[in-house]
Amino acid sequence: MPQGKSVFTVGGLAALALGVAVSTTAVAADLMKPGGYPERTVSIIVPYGPGGGSDQVARAWAAAMQKVTGVGFSVENKPGGGGLAAIPDFMSRPKDGYTILEQTDGIITAEAAKQIDFTLGEDLIPICVTQATFSQVYIRPDEDRYTDWASFVAYAKKNPGQVNLANIGVEGSMEVVQWGAIEDAAGINVKQISFDKPAERYASLIGGHTDALFEQPGDVRKYLEGGQMKAILNVLSSSPDAFKDVPSLNDANIGDVPVLQRVRLFWVHKDVPDERREYLVKACDVAFKTDDYQKFNRSKYMHLARSYYGGQDATDLVRGLVDAYVALYKKIGFSK
Amino acid sequence: MDDFILGFTTLFFDPVGVSVFFGGLVGGLVFGAIPGLSAVTLATVLLPFSVYFAPSHAIMLLAVIYVSGIYGGAVTAILFNIPGSAENAPTAFDGYPMTQKGESGRAIGAAVTCSALGGIGSCILMMAATEPLANWAIRAFGPPEIFALIFLGLSIAATVGAETVWKGWLSVLFGLLLATIGTDPAGGLARFDFNIDYLMAGIHFVPLILGFFAVSEVFIQGHQIARGLRVPPALGIDFPSLAEFWRLKFAVVRSMMIGFFSGILPGIGAVLASFLSYGEAVRWSKNPERFGTGEIEGVVASETANNAATGAAMIPLLALGLPGGALTAVMVGAFQIHGMEPGPLVLITSKDLVWVVFVAMFLANVGIFMLGYIETKTVVHLLRVPFSLLAPAILLIASIGAYALRGLVVDVWVMFLAGIVGYLMRRSGYSMAAVVLGVILGQLGESAFIKSMQLLDYNPLNFFTRPVSAILLVLGIASLAYSIHRASRIVPDEDAREPRTP
Repeated sequence: MPQGKSVFTVGGLAALALGVAVSTTAVAADLMKPGGYPERTVSIIVPYGPGGGSDQVARAWAAAMQKVTGVGFSVENKPGGGGLAAIPDFMSRPKDGYTILEQTDGIITAEAAKQIDFTLGEDLIPICVTQATFSQVYIRPDEDRYTDWASFVAYAKKNPGQVNLANIGVEGSMEVVQWGAIEDAAGINVKQISFDKPAERYASLIGGHTDALFEQPGDVRKYLEGGQMKAILNVLSSSPDAFKDVPSLNDANIGDVPVLQRVRLFWVHKDVPDERREYLVKACDVAFKTDDYQKFNRSKYMHLARSYYGGQDATDLVRGLVDAYVALYKKIGFSK
Repeated sequence: MDDFILGFTTLFFDPVGVSVFFGGLVGGLVFGAIPGLSAVTLATVLLPFSVYFAPSHAIMLLAVIYVSGIYGGAVTAILFNIPGSAENAPTAFDGYPMTQKGESGRAIGAAVTCSALGGIGSCILMMAATEPLANWAIRAFGPPEIFALIFLGLSIAATVGAETVWKGWLSVLFGLLLATIGTDPAGGLARFDFNIDYLMAGIHFVPLILGFFAVSEVFIQGHQIARGLRVPPALGIDFPSLAEFWRLKFAVVRSMMIGFFSGILPGIGAVLASFLSYGEAVRWSKNPERFGTGEIEGVVASETANNAATGAAMIPLLALGLPGGALTAVMVGAFQIHGMEPGPLVLITSKDLVWVVFVAMFLANVGIFMLGYIETKTVVHLLRVPFSLLAPAILLIASIGAYALRGLVVDVWVMFLAGIVGYLMRRSGYSMAAVVLGVILGQLGESAFIKSMQLLDYNPLNFFTRPVSAILLVLGIASLAYSIHRASRIVPDEDAREPRTP
């Protein structure tokens, strides 16, 4: 998992195990509904199309929250603008705690790049982070122009600007910055194509319209196990056991590349009454520990490291990440 | 065939399975018919309970809801100009004018029969060749081909329902303009937002179609009553004859193919299927000017295609694990609840389950036909209700639908504003069908265009280096040129000033 070169420190590997040890029933006892809230379905706005990592996390979380709170949690997909189109939709909804926004680090980089005019942790307050993960680069298993990272780099050097990579995100986003750093270090020039709808993104690689894909392993696990995709690079300093046959950044001699993590988290507006927000934080804590969510977490390789941050921990993580991205942008000369 | 019989017996020798099947069928019809709600709403509500079902029942329930929900909105679109869901909007283009001409029975009959035929045809293709079709489709169609397909659809949009082709084009361009409001699909830049969050998020399609169709119709009818011109529509409960269906056989097959191939492409689905199919019906017709005025082929094209897309959407889901739309994504959730992942392995490891789903979708389409036949003979009698009572009911249902979408009162205001704009535009000979085609094709087309330009090095000529996109674009350009050529030769009839529908 990300180590020394990660732009943020995500605590220890033991944290998750420690969290799981807390008794679910003990926390559930505190789950008194403040003023009857919630009494009807809560909407979760997902900033991307159906089927991708954010959508999978939101649907699994919705099911767990539904079990814990006893009311429905429904998912609405609002793709567009590399994940940013969902924000104004969310901001225009009533601030009563019945609409929750899911976002990735995309909203964090948006603040760091001054693409949004509000402050995270103050105007939008995180309920919890339920996923923190690393990225990989994938190709088709039957690809004959290159078969691994070394041959991919060699092919891209021979065909500068002709190789394309399916990705998502706007300028300054985790994906675009991460891939840019990898490109610079490897001395290649690859076109990035941004797909907001994950099904289109994955189909573009499987169907041969793009040459490689930048994604997180949990999101595409079924394609890896189904033999439709093959990982050729772990965007980590050292390879985890689950992917020990795939080279890490150090193995690929591009160890100076900073490791940026994908985080997925849920937000409410600052005007949502405090007691409702606090209820959601507690409910998320219980929901994360349910057997079903833990099973989902393991299936997404999330048990390898700490992937849960609730309440103030989540706010601290977000502020730390904003500062880290501001520093990184300065270092790489990115300005919007 | 053995697999079909296995699926059939597994489904129908189990009383729980039969109950789930019929529950899904009726539930989908009801939720599909109510604007603001949809089959996805029902599927989402039921998903957590699916843990208590056997895996085959859980997936089957969602598949049946999908099939019947897509059809459900056709009846309200035809009778009251209220499309229950976006994919039924093109059904209203000609279905409602048919109602006004006293042909509601024919319109609903055509919708029912063609929904069933489209769905059954697509189920047969799904059962015959799920895996090879899925692999072919995602290889043949990338963003440039999808953009070219949408361009072809847009090239005919101007000929639908407007007084002149020029007004048709203005209507399409107005729709395209509305589609650009909000955050752009690639860079996240806000357009025409005036620093208002609501506009930055883009105007939602549902309040727009409710306003343009249902609300503007109430205004138009009210206007005619005030002028003493309104003639209440005659009640028609006659089903279309077999001879009529035989006459429309090519339209049915063409719409089935369009619906099927739209459904099979991830991210495209039933909405685009019905809009593209409607456009092609206009293009291939000997009398394109009749579309928008109550041409049965318009209803046939839309309803065949949107149901054909349902079976097709299961193909990438089951063969490749790619959910192309919201309902198929909910199905992934149901698979996961039961410890499975849709994808190539499901076809091998859970063959029984897959065949129960195939058979259930096939029979759901047959069920639509039977329930629809009953609807034709019963629901049509709602038209006996005097318009003075019907109008407030239509406005109420439309308002609830617009509000239920996101719990936003602004959506209701936008619906009424769209109603007023629609009323004024229709009075001036512009086409609401063309506006709506512009909005929906504009949103999807821009997204495909941006990805295409990135893939094609920002050189539009590179569209012509890919055979499929080249053929579709050439056809679109030829169609556009022909439409302009015709428009420049036709002198508008100055007497034709009565508003057209929709």
